[in-house]
Amino acid sequence: MTFRQIFIRKIVYLGIIAVLLLPLFWLGQPATVGARGVSGGPGGLLAQLRTEYGLSEAELGEIDPTSEAMRLATLGLRGVAANILWKQADTHKMKKDWTSLSATLEQLVKLEPHFISVWRFQAWNLSYNVSAEFDDYRKRYDWVIRGIEFLKKGIRYNEFEPKLVWDTGWFIAQKIGRADEWKQFRRLFRDDDDFHATRPKELRDNWLVGKEWFQRGEQMVDQGAVLRGISPLLFYSDRPMCQMNYSEYLERDGIFGERAKRSWVRALEEWLEFGNREFPTSGDEVIRLNDREALDRQVAEAAARLDELAPGLREKIRQEKLRRLTPEERIALETLPQERTVEQQMQAFQAEAKITVSHREVAQRISGPNRQEALRLADEAEKAMEKSERIVQQRTIVNFEYWRMRAQFEQTPQALEARELIYLGDEAFRNSDLIRAKEYYDKGLAKWRELLDLPEFPQLVKDGSTGRELLDIIRNYQRILDARDEPWPQPFILQDVIDLHKDRHPDFQVPQ
Amino acid sequence: MSTSVLPGTSAETKLETTRDVVVETRNLTKVYRDFWGRQKVRALKALDLSIFRGEIFGLLGPNGSGKTTTMKLLLGLLFPTEGEALVFGKPATDVSKNERIGYLPEETYLYRFLTGEETLDFYGRLFNIPAAVRRQRSAELLELVGLTAARKRQLREYSKGMARRLGLAQALINDPDLILLDEPTTGLDPIGTRAMKDLILQLRDRGKTIIMCSHLLADVQDVCDRVGILYQGELKELGRVDSLLKIRDVTEIRVAGLPPVALEEIKGVVERHNGQVQFIGNPTTTLEELFLNIVAESEAHPGRRVRGGVSDGH
Amino acid sequence: MVIEKVLPPFWTWFVQAALVWVALIVVVCVFGLLLASFVLTVERGFKRAAVSIGRAIVEAFTDLIGAISFRRISGLVFLAIKESIRRRVLAVFALFILLLLFAGWYIDPASTNPSVLYLNFVLSSTGYLIILLALFLSCYSLPNDIRNRTIQTVVTKPVRISEIVFGRVAGFALVGTVLLLLMCGVSYLFVISGLSHTHTLSSENLSAMTDPQGIVEGYTGFTSTVHGHKHRVYVDPDGKARVEMRHGHVHRLEVSGIPPDAKYSLGPAEEALLARVVVYGDLQFRDRDGVDTKEGLNVGDEWTYRGYIQGGSPAAFIWTFAGITPRRFPDGLPLELNLGVFRTHKGNIEKGVLGSIAVRNPRTGLTVETEIFESKEFALNQGVSTNQFFIPRLITKASSVQIIQRKRIGPQGVELDPPSETLDHQLAKKQEFDLFEDLTDNGKLEIWIRCLEPGQYFGAAKPDLYLRARDGYFALNLLKGFLGIWLQMTIVLAYGVMLSTFLSAPVALIATLGVMIGGLFRDFMTQLAFGQTWGGGPFESFYRLITQENVMTQLEPGLGTTLLKMADVGARGFLYAAANVLPPLGEFGWSNFVAYGFDIPGEVVLIRLLQTVAIVLPVCVAGYFFLKAREVAE
Repeated sequence: MTFRQIFIRKIVYLGIIAVLLLPLFWLGQPATVGARGVSGGPGGLLAQLRTEYGLSEAELGEIDPTSEAMRLATLGLRGVAANILWKQADTHKMKKDWTSLSATLEQLVKLEPHFISVWRFQAWNLSYNVSAEFDDYRKRYDWVIRGIEFLKKGIRYNEFEPKLVWDTGWFIAQKIGRADEWKQFRRLFRDDDDFHATRPKELRDNWLVGKEWFQRGEQMVDQGAVLRGISPLLFYSDRPMCQMNYSEYLERDGIFGERAKRSWVRALEEWLEFGNREFPTSGDEVIRLNDREALDRQVAEAAARLDELAPGLREKIRQEKLRRLTPEERIALETLPQERTVEQQMQAFQAEAKITVSHREVAQRISGPNRQEALRLADEAEKAMEKSERIVQQRTIVNFEYWRMRAQFEQTPQALEARELIYLGDEAFRNSDLIRAKEYYDKGLAKWRELLDLPEFPQLVKDGSTGRELLDIIRNYQRILDARDEPWPQPFILQDVIDLHKDRHPDFQVPQ
Repeated sequence: MSTSVLPGTSAETKLETTRDVVVETRNLTKVYRDFWGRQKVRALKALDLSIFRGEIFGLLGPNGSGKTTTMKLLLGLLFPTEGEALVFGKPATDVSKNERIGYLPEETYLYRFLTGEETLDFYGRLFNIPAAVRRQRSAELLELVGLTAARKRQLREYSKGMARRLGLAQALINDPDLILLDEPTTGLDPIGTRAMKDLILQLRDRGKTIIMCSHLLADVQDVCDRVGILYQGELKELGRVDSLLKIRDVTEIRVAGLPPVALEEIKGVVERHNGQVQFIGNPTTTLEELFLNIVAESEAHPGRRVRGGVSDGH
Repeated sequence: MVIEKVLPPFWTWFVQAALVWVALIVVVCVFGLLLASFVLTVERGFKRAAVSIGRAIVEAFTDLIGAISFRRISGLVFLAIKESIRRRVLAVFALFILLLLFAGWYIDPASTNPSVLYLNFVLSSTGYLIILLALFLSCYSLPNDIRNRTIQTVVTKPVRISEIVFGRVAGFALVGTVLLLLMCGVSYLFVISGLSHTHTLSSENLSAMTDPQGIVEGYTGFTSTVHGHKHRVYVDPDGKARVEMRHGHVHRLEVSGIPPDAKYSLGPAEEALLARVVVYGDLQFRDRDGVDTKEGLNVGDEWTYRGYIQGGSPAAFIWTFAGITPRRFPDGLPLELNLGVFRTHKGNIEKGVLGSIAVRNPRTGLTVETEIFESKEFALNQGVSTNQFFIPRLITKASSVQIIQRKRIGPQGVELDPPSETLDHQLAKKQEFDLFEDLTDNGKLEIWIRCLEPGQYFGAAKPDLYLRARDGYFALNLLKGFLGIWLQMTIVLAYGVMLSTFLSAPVALIATLGVMIGGLFRDFMTQLAFGQTWGGGPFESFYRLITQENVMTQLEPGLGTTLLKMADVGARGFLYAAANVLPPLGEFGWSNFVAYGFDIPGEVVLIRLLQTVAIVLPVCVAGYFFLKAREVAE
């Protein structure tokens, strides 16, 4: 081949490269900023997409030259390098080489600073898995904090990622507050001058600090950050839950009275505030958890007015339907619920559905001038019912009603006193002061009785969580009595609680 | 070595047997093969050659005729496919023969990152020469090739001619008995060429054997005692330079002081033999003509050993 | 420090390694000879082939042994050095300095064990750079010489081919040595300066510690936080001070005045860079029935390095030490112990699990429990002080004295050691015990570690308990660490030069790289060769791979399976040979020793040195043959 041919060929190659680069250039054109505040061109498609998804480096968070240098140095093999590092980290973890594990993670996140899963997964690894490998609770605590610090660093690189903020809140609140060694952890957390720096000691409660982080996450989302992979309902529930837990742990720490009450009041406020927040549902509708009661009232009113338009009609339709049931179904329905066979339960369930009279059915049977009005009322009632049901579903997810009730009853003087007395009883028991223990318990149980009898909380005695808690208290009472060789009091002051809940707790031995 | 003794050189045969043979090749053949062992080029075909102490032997031929291959076979850089090459009576692949050999390669294959002095010192060490001797000899050789001033400069800064001269110096570092020069005058200017030729003759006079190959006829003609002409891997001609260049069916008589009678007599003799006297005496041809003849002949009758228009006259 | 592959004692190793080596050399020679004969016979016919080979063998002896000239080699070494300089090897040093300049970006001085990170960094980056350099120098040198034909001027001198090969390797090794020494010096300074720091302490940081009567027993508090850590300090009322170890080091605390209102000044970090000279023992386990076993329990770890023993049972770790003489340990035995702790119930969260340490005379069975301790697990790895014990020469305090027989299950049932009839129960009646007279038998003694709490477990591996004989010099140890890199470099150089005798430069580079990477799979290949892996040998596993067959399922019996298995048996020999030809480069890294502050034992150095020689020599000889058989001109 002659020199000339080679030369021409090279020129052709260069030309082809240039032509192939053109679309890339067009796609990747950066946005321009116009003079004097006038916005310039939006740039190429890539630039637009980058802005749309908030992917440009400067918008994500702190720009770190070390991280940039490292990414450049991998020459486009970043993914491969990250994979290798990930595997190495796994090996270090397997071989319990914690120093190398931290160092590897350090490198890994420098290589992939915007890969959120890396931060979340590895922080979890440090706080939950690695910390558990240690025997000394202080070292466990160290590693929990290490995971939290890891997340905080992740936030510096990704300033608009609410999930990391939420995780930080979760680790501080839940990992420290709910671990086996929560007592030690909370104590260490309070004494951790390095973590808190200038925060005063009395505010160094893990629940309060966690709450601040949750709040920060909420603000971030409210300001437009995109929440991916977490249901908004759960996301927003954590902050008020922190206040609940804080109140509870105050009492565990032996703080009652006005301070505990204030905290419970605050918890209720925040919980209701949470209930006032609008959440999208699968439909286009938005719902508010607090709205259920209002909606139910709305339904009842509509139904009442419907019934006014045609008195007795609803019952008439019901009787008609009842007559159409098969004999088996009728028998099943007439049998008491506890005595139904499995088959009958099924039949009764179906029968119930069959004899239910909907508002629309009632409305459609109305003729004459009121028909229009009836149909409107029926429609209103049905819609409200539907919405109410949807709210109930969402409420179940966060156990809304329980916590609302809890925050309400905990602030009553009866509850505060009952809690304090039981706490003092436990303390006395721990110090082997059986006489005082029994005294406190007797008083405490009486206070519980008062509380359960309050007209504001008719449902409290039936509530499962409260029931379980009371069974635990009863069990401790039994222990105190056993230790003193005293017989079980007849009648027992909370017998109804035992009767209501013992079936759900087979390990609970009913005292005789 | 019956085939190698050409009729034209048989007069020297007696002489040869009495002299030391420095280099001898028997049926030396080199075939280049490709990776799969298939024959690619037959670079040298059954070469039989003897070179004697104290002579300057020239290998002549166009590019690719097998000159350099022969050289490299003699040096052991290549391994023969057939036959063998003996140097000082040892196989060419034997390293110990190198003690007495100096070799100037075709182009100066020296390390460009060494200085002139370091180069000579390095090759001196390879000859296991003690440091003091090395120093002294390098100085002498640098002086000889006129590079004393440039001895501290790296070879990368050397001109082609300088590098060539340093190449010669390294070839002489061990005061060799046999010197192989591959195209010794390439890259030299006319003065340099002249100096090189003088040096070659000087070395011969000091009893060294010199084998040089060249495609420059003038070089060979000027300095060589004997030449072998290679073409396409075959030895086409071998002999003393003067005898090779005689046109044997032409007689040139150049006489001084001959009486006219005698001349008439000679003319008479010539005429009696239907000859025609133009000039009395032997003319000589040039090596160039000889060479071109061989090439023409080879192409007409490939594979035949030619005697390029030169008769068998003794 | 974790040592997963424990080297056998020198002579055990030497005999075995020498046998394998000789066998391998013979196999390679025979194989090479057969190959050469075959090729030459095909090319030139039998007779000439025989002559050539005969001559090559004779020449090889003179070239490799007889005719070697140090002056010629020195010339070639000089050339290699010049060439290296020409090819700007010093740039590597500049690169190293550059790396160190930016290393601070990536090394976290607040890490729990910064010295490990620093040392691992300097050792690994030096290693990578030097090996990369060795690769390029060795693989490109000869092919370049051949391409530029400069080799022709060289080989037409009376230089032996062997000298060309050795000269290259030696020359480049020399260059590498100088570079490594430079890097070692710079690394030392880098590590020292990177770790150096001090803290401040003032009287406000201290609070009084009182006994129940309210009398001040001393003061405690924290120093300032530097490099992400602070130390707890204890100051006695009389001014004596103690600083707790954090992040692998302590500081000396000077107290001038009467505490608490005194002036406090802390010294530089100490004990961060150590070179502990330690003596390891052999570890055996005793199970909960009191019977000796080889392995401990697995508590569910994927990593089977540590074996566990059950607490509150006769189970124990038994380390047997040899060569314990009054001369070596005139005052007693300084011991350090790392323990893994595994709890099956919470126990007391605030406290470590209790264990005991005892010394036993293997001949008489006299066992003296000297101490009950609280566990500090994996302490060394975390840079916090480890469980340290000192067993004095004269033991006056013993928490229990017993005569214990060891139980082994032998072919004739349970064997007791020492046998019951030789027991001397009077021994246990003594009040004081001399370590060497009562508890050592011919320099041998056993250390027993037990876990005292039922339901809790202790875990340990052989290197977890050791005698800390003395402390060596850190700088020297670092130098030894660099020697490890030097050995690796030399091996790479030899392989590079050898492969470049017959391959072109880039191909030789890739081949050498392949050899190095292959070396990482040595153990795996050996396992394959001995049929210790799941899923069969190479052929069977290939079959399983393409048919997506699980490694655990049995292949259907039949001709195909039989053939596969036979092919695998055939491949085993090859695999074994290949595994042994490949250099175990990974095993030459001693950075862990240096990083975790252990003196690299002389025996390890010796073994690796011999291994290097055993690799480099034959590789160079192979290079000689390859280059000799090759025409250097074209």
